[in-house]
Formats: sequence, C-alpha cells, structure tokens
Amino acid sequence: MTSGDENAYRAVAEALEAAAGEKGRLIKIERLAAALRPLEGARLAITARLLAGSPFAEWEQQVTSTGWATLARAASAVTGWDLETIRACAAAIGDLGEAVSLLFPLPPGEGQGEGLPAVGPPLAILEVDQTLRALATFRKAAEKQKAIEDLLRRSSAIEAKYLVKTLSGELRVGADITTVEEAIARAFERDREEVARAHRDCGDIGETAVAARDGRLDAIRFRLFHPIGFMLATPIDGPAEVVPELSGFAIEEKFDGIRAHAHKSGSRVALFSRTLDDVTVGFPEITLALALAPGEFLLDGEIVAWKAMSAEALAKADEASAKAGGCPDSFFRLQRRLGRKAPPPELLAEIPVAFIAYDCLARGGEPLFEKPWTERRRNLEEIAAESKGLLISEVFRASGAGELEALFTRARERGNEGLMFKRLDSSYQAGKRGKAWRKWKKALATLDVVVTAVEQGHGKRAGMLSDYTFAVRDGEHFVNIGKAYSGLTDEEIRRMGAHFRRITTARYGPARAVSPEVVLEVAFDTIQKSNRHKSGFALRFPRIVRLRPDKRPADASTLQDVIEIYEQREAPKERPPS
Amino acid sequence: MDALLPFLEARPEGLYAPAFRAFLDPPAAAERAILSHAHADHAAPGHGELLATPETIALYRRRNPDWTGKATAIRYDDPFTGRGATFTLLSSGHILGGAQVFFEDGEKSLLYTGDFKRSRGRTAPQAEVRQADVLLTESTFGLPVFRFPPRGALEHRLVTACREAIDRGATPVVLAYALGKSQEAAAILAEAGIPTVLHGAAWKLLPEYESAGHRFPTSRAYETGPPMAGEALIVPPNCARTPVVQRLKSRSVIYASGWAVRAASRADFDADVLLPLSDHADFEELLEHVAAVSPRRVVTMHGYALDFARILAGRSIRARALTDRAERREEDA
Repeated sequence: MTSGDENAYRAVAEALEAAAGEKGRLIKIERLAAALRPLEGARLAITARLLAGSPFAEWEQQVTSTGWATLARAASAVTGWDLETIRACAAAIGDLGEAVSLLFPLPPGEGQGEGLPAVGPPLAILEVDQTLRALATFRKAAEKQKAIEDLLRRSSAIEAKYLVKTLSGELRVGADITTVEEAIARAFERDREEVARAHRDCGDIGETAVAARDGRLDAIRFRLFHPIGFMLATPIDGPAEVVPELSGFAIEEKFDGIRAHAHKSGSRVALFSRTLDDVTVGFPEITLALALAPGEFLLDGEIVAWKAMSAEALAKADEASAKAGGCPDSFFRLQRRLGRKAPPPELLAEIPVAFIAYDCLARGGEPLFEKPWTERRRNLEEIAAESKGLLISEVFRASGAGELEALFTRARERGNEGLMFKRLDSSYQAGKRGKAWRKWKKALATLDVVVTAVEQGHGKRAGMLSDYTFAVRDGEHFVNIGKAYSGLTDEEIRRMGAHFRRITTARYGPARAVSPEVVLEVAFDTIQKSNRHKSGFALRFPRIVRLRPDKRPADASTLQDVIEIYEQREAPKERPPS
Repeated sequence: MDALLPFLEARPEGLYAPAFRAFLDPPAAAERAILSHAHADHAAPGHGELLATPETIALYRRRNPDWTGKATAIRYDDPFTGRGATFTLLSSGHILGGAQVFFEDGEKSLLYTGDFKRSRGRTAPQAEVRQADVLLTESTFGLPVFRFPPRGALEHRLVTACREAIDRGATPVVLAYALGKSQEAAAILAEAGIPTVLHGAAWKLLPEYESAGHRFPTSRAYETGPPMAGEALIVPPNCARTPVVQRLKSRSVIYASGWAVRAASRADFDADVLLPLSDHADFEELLEHVAAVSPRRVVTMHGYALDFARILAGRSIRARALTDRAERREEDA
C-alpha cells in the first residue's frame, strides 16, 4: 500500500490517507509513526511538518497564503472542469482537496473516468517542500496558481488530495499536533512528554522528529522569541464544580481582552497572540513598557483596553485600580485596536491598552513550564517588583461558594468577565486545554432561537456542520440575531449535521440555508445594536447551551423579547443620567 | 401545454398529468397518483388511487398497512391509455418495482426517469432505455465528483469487508436503506455464504421480494436476536448511533450509499468502511442515459439539478432544472 520510495511525496499522502481511514487514535498514531520510522534528516523533518499540516515550522510564522480561489482556479485548469463546477463539487463533498482528487481518473480496475494521467517524474518530498515554501514568497496569485498547477499535473489523485488540503490549511484527517508528537515518540521509541516538551521549546515538529530519531531531544532548549502554545482553561457553569477543591486553586479575575505571550530580552520585545501571530507592532505602548523592565522573560497575560483614572477618581477607586492607576476597559473598545499593523497616534490616544501579566513561563534563560504555578507566580511577582509599570493580576483565595460569589460579583463590577481558577501545583501545559485551569463566566440570560443556516467548522470540527446562524421570531418571519460555533458535543454536532443536510433548502458556498425547524437555547454576554443581522441586534459571545427538541419554532423567543432584554440591561447605559 | 414539459403541468402540489388526471410522485396525499417507486420521498401515504407496478403497490401496502385506497397495477411495458395520451412503465433499475414513466401521444414523447441506475443490481431488473423528445431526469449525483466504481468491484468490496470483520471476530454492520439497499446487500452476502440479520424495517418487506422470485434463506430478523459470530447485521443508516449498533463492542461498520464518496460520512455515521454502492445513477450514468435517450431537451430534478443542467448546457445539450431552488438531499442514495 505504500509506494516504498521514501523520497516520494506519495508516501506522505498515503500516510495521511491511512490515518484518515482509521477511527481509533492509537491506530492513527501507528499509521503516522510507520511513515516516519524509515526516514532521517531533512526528509524526516519535512515529512513530520507535512503530517502536521504545514511545510513551515511554527516559529517561522509563515503560511503559503494561498487563497481558496487560487486553489480552485488551479484545480479547474488541471481537471478541465469550470470554476463553478469545482465550487459546487467542493461544497458537495465538504472539502476542496477531496473534491479535486475525486475529479482525477479512478484507479485502474475502478472503471472509466476522464481527466488526465499524472505526467512527468513522481513528486519528491524535497521538491514539494521547496515549492510550498516558494508559494509564500510569490506576490501574485497568478504565480501561485501556476506553481500549484505544475504540482497537480504531476500528481496522482491521492497526492492532489493532500497537496490541496495542505494548501487550504486544513488536513482534516483527525490527527492533531499531539497525535503527530505521539507518532514521533512511537516511531523512535521516545517518551511522549519529552517529545512534546522539545516541540514546545523549539517550535518545530520537524526538528523535534529529527532530534527524537537521533536521541538528541534533551539538546533542544527553550528559545525566546519562538511562539509557544497557550495553556487553556476548561469552562465551569458555577462555583459548585470547584468548591470541593478550592484549597488547591488560586483565583484571578478573568480579563476581557486578548491573550498574549510577551517575550522580552534586553530591549527586544515580541508579543504573540493565541493564533501564534506576531502582534508586537499593533501595541507600541505595551512593547515600550516591557522593554523598560529589567531582565529576560516570557510572560503570559492579557492585552486589555485601559482606562486611566484621574487623581480624583483614584481616590474613590478600589484598591486594585488605585494601585494600577486605572482599570481595564471594555472589549468593545479594544476591538478597534485589533487587526491593525500600526495604529495611528489619534487611536493610541483615544484607546490606550495595557498588558496584565498573570504567568511567567521563562526567566533569565530558564524555562519554568514544568514548575508549579506557585513557583511561576513567585517569579512573576519578583519581575513585577523590579519593573515599574508592569501590571500583574491580583490573586485571591476563597474557601466557599459565598466568597466565590462575592469575588465574581466584584470582578463583573470591575468590567471583567468572571473568574479564573488555577491549580497551585499545576505545570504550564502549552497548547492544551485541561482541568488544571478553569474559567467561570456567567451567562446572563438565554434565548430560544431557531437555526436558519449552518456552515462547516474548522480545525477539530472541520467537515462537521458546527457553525450555526440563528434567528428569533418576528411575526410570521425569522430574523437572524447571531452565529455560534460551539457548546454542543461532537456527537450532537454530527447528529445535527445529518439532520441539517436533510433540511437544507439552499447552498451558498460552504454554507447551507436550512428550513427553520431546530430550536437551540443560547446564552450570551450582552446584546448590541447591529446592522449585521436582520433583527437589528447582535448577541455578543453567544454560545449554545443545549438543544431544545422539546420546543417548536413557534415557541422560540421573539424580537420583542430581545428588545426588552436590551432595554433593561443595555440601553440605560447609553442614555445620559436623568 | 407547458412549454417546458409536454404531458405535465407544474402545480403547487407537484407535477400533474391532465391526460390521466393524476399527479406524478406527488409529495403529499393526492386523489390519484402515478408512482415511480415505493420510497417514501416518492410515495407519500394516503393517496386515493395508485397507478404503479404490482411490486410498487405491494410494497406501498406493506409500508402503509392501514391504507384503503384503490390500486391499479400496471405491468412494465404495458401501455396505459388516458385522454389523448398513453404512458408506459419501464424498469428504472432503482429498486424492486421501480419504474420510469414514458409518456407519448403519437406526436411527442417524454421520459420521466424517477430514481434510476443503469448498472445491474440483483434485486431490480436492468433499467430500460426509450428514446424520447424530452427527458425529465433525476440528478441526485449530478456532479462529476460522484463517480462510482463498477458494481462488481463494489460487491466484491462489500463481501471482503464483511469477511475480514468476521475473520477477526467482529460483527460486520452494513448501513443500508431499508427498502432496496438492505435486500440488495442481503442478496450479495447470501451468494458469498454470509448469513445476515435484518432490521425489522427491511425484514418486513421480504415477502414482496419473495413474491418477485428473490430468496433469502440465510437471512433472519433482528427480533430473533442480535447477530452471532459469522453473521452480518444490516440496518438503516439512522441506526448507526443507536444501541443496536453501538453496543456491538467489536464491529466493522460499512456505510453503503452513494454519499459514501464523502470522507465526512465516516464521521457522520461512525463508519469504518465507505462503500459507494448506490441505487442511483452516478454522474457518468446520468450522462450515458442522456446520450441513450437522445432527447431534444433535458429537464433535471432532485439533488444537483442546477449544476447538472449547467454542465449539460456546457456540452451543447438543451437543459434546465425543473425548479431554480436547491433541493433537499434524499435519504436512499
């Protein structure tokens, strides 16, 4: 089943196909491990990266930046089908790479099939890697398209499938980065924790694979200025879930901003977002403040809009704000600072931002990921003590539900989202969501809404109809009010997906309009006026609480309900005090 | 006469054939209905009178035991005369009793395919071809990504997948629509010497298949007990996540449907093997049928009707979709 040629890109495609064809995680790992085992050097590094979905190491922060349209045009040129048919096929199959491969000739013995046999010498791993990397340097879509066509013309169906999947940024074989780490551990008989650590520290699954093979994992050392994955928290619905273990948790307020890692050495500072993008230039005031701090460190924290307080206001402010000279402002304001390369001076003046640090992952060249939270916190406090103006989170302890409710209320009053719980003895699990960190955000109200359109999700939920647009009733009609991505289990999403396919009334690219039949209960943080949806309102941070099979569309909430909630909770803030 | 379709009028209730005062596969109960076959999306319950093949009528009665309407059985190839026109039921190759409907009046003709396939299944006669002025064709798989391997290769894959499962002590579970695909799978596996356990929805239809000369000596009903070692279980796809399947600890789930070309159906149905064994024409067969019928005009319906019409038009064939609205996907592919 494998081509037997370790130089051939086909071996990578076949390994991915073999993993995709398996349901079990362990057997997926074994399939990937089998592809890695015979390799060494550059071919091993490239293969490991391609199995993880990108020709680039994370630290390179590169993408081939090939648009869907460019890929579709290349597919059209190579298969001979017009663009509209390519688009329809991708929508029908749910994945462009898969669709393209199905437009290739069927294998011998599988019957007819038009199209063209692969021409030229087989694709070698090294040249595929070079071409994919070169794509990132091409400016013009036409250049990219030409390079992709050249690859596809020499591809078999299975190679075309995984080339297009790689270029569209999602492999969808059910193997995440942890699976590839475990495949490396298995292929070369190494400890998987050690592989994960090395990968985290060097930011390159390829280098990690080679080091694992050569028995040099311990030589990989943490390097500043390589982006690192973020440790994520598991949501809880209320204090009851943490009360029994409260003595083991530190508590912090949950800030309403964007997560960032701050790398700092000498006067050099880099800020990386949750998506591992370098966002340094967007926040010059943070960069400057950090550059002034002594030493070398990596901090985890939150970028928030900042409300500086006047002396008069400070005198009346709570202790934390008084100490910090201000307090976090709303995410709504921060939004205007996001996605900007270089903010103009007026915007810097109008919406200042600040970085509130809450974890220290490295200090003075020493990685602290493996150390317990308490030790990392001590390091953070020492850094803060040495540096003027470095804001750090306040830490609280609580012993019962009552105290938690009080802390929660205080956090909300200060404009924060809720509370974070961090196990005192926990290490920093970069890039993982676990129970060592919990988050408690109170959803303030819920609405019963009707799903009007569905779309395929991304990442883990790729290929599943996991994104729902929903509406409330307005007389005889349904008017959209928001879109939500999660909250249901994979199992529920699958079951609903099959149902949504049956009740599809129209397709628009990856989206489907569905007959308004399914009722969901959604929670949200606030309601805002918005032109985005027909209702004239938008829910902020909507999430699906549960399916409501017990309710019919006629039982759904009405636009009037929305207006009432809005007026009760939001509108007064917009009016001048009477 | 409608400019688009001779013999038929598009009405809100469905396609109406005035010469026979009957609706064609109407989606809801009608006074009089010509039925192409007995799948629920073509054979709504509660019709006043049926005009259909004897097999379709028998299956309709079985699936609607309380139905008290009138039935007029029309055999394949026997013309049925109405006011100024006749229609003839021709085998569609889709499922037992499945028919295309050929309308003619001495001047013009129209062939309605209903659901069809050109490849030869074991439990349905081969689809017939009759040249017609207008072809009203289904287009469930009217996109070029839907190309299925030859029937023989698919049957072989089904048998191999079941044998491999049995050899390692697992239960093969075939996900197949209750009417048509289940009996087809049972027939294929019977010939390979693999006994089958059928879900009640498929089992209750076996008498109609037996009347038509098909035999299932190695099949039994799920009611008589869950599958034992060496037996394959055949259940409708909507059972994939129910205890009937999920409580089989060691199983190999084979999703037998044209939709199995989508890798996403692996997750949708928790399937181990994707087998595009379909009772519908694939894209190539749709094209072949158009060529064989050689109509002056093609009208497409069901599935990718808009896309298929556009693709035909791109090949200089006069074609359009019956409606410009995308349709619901069918269950029985």
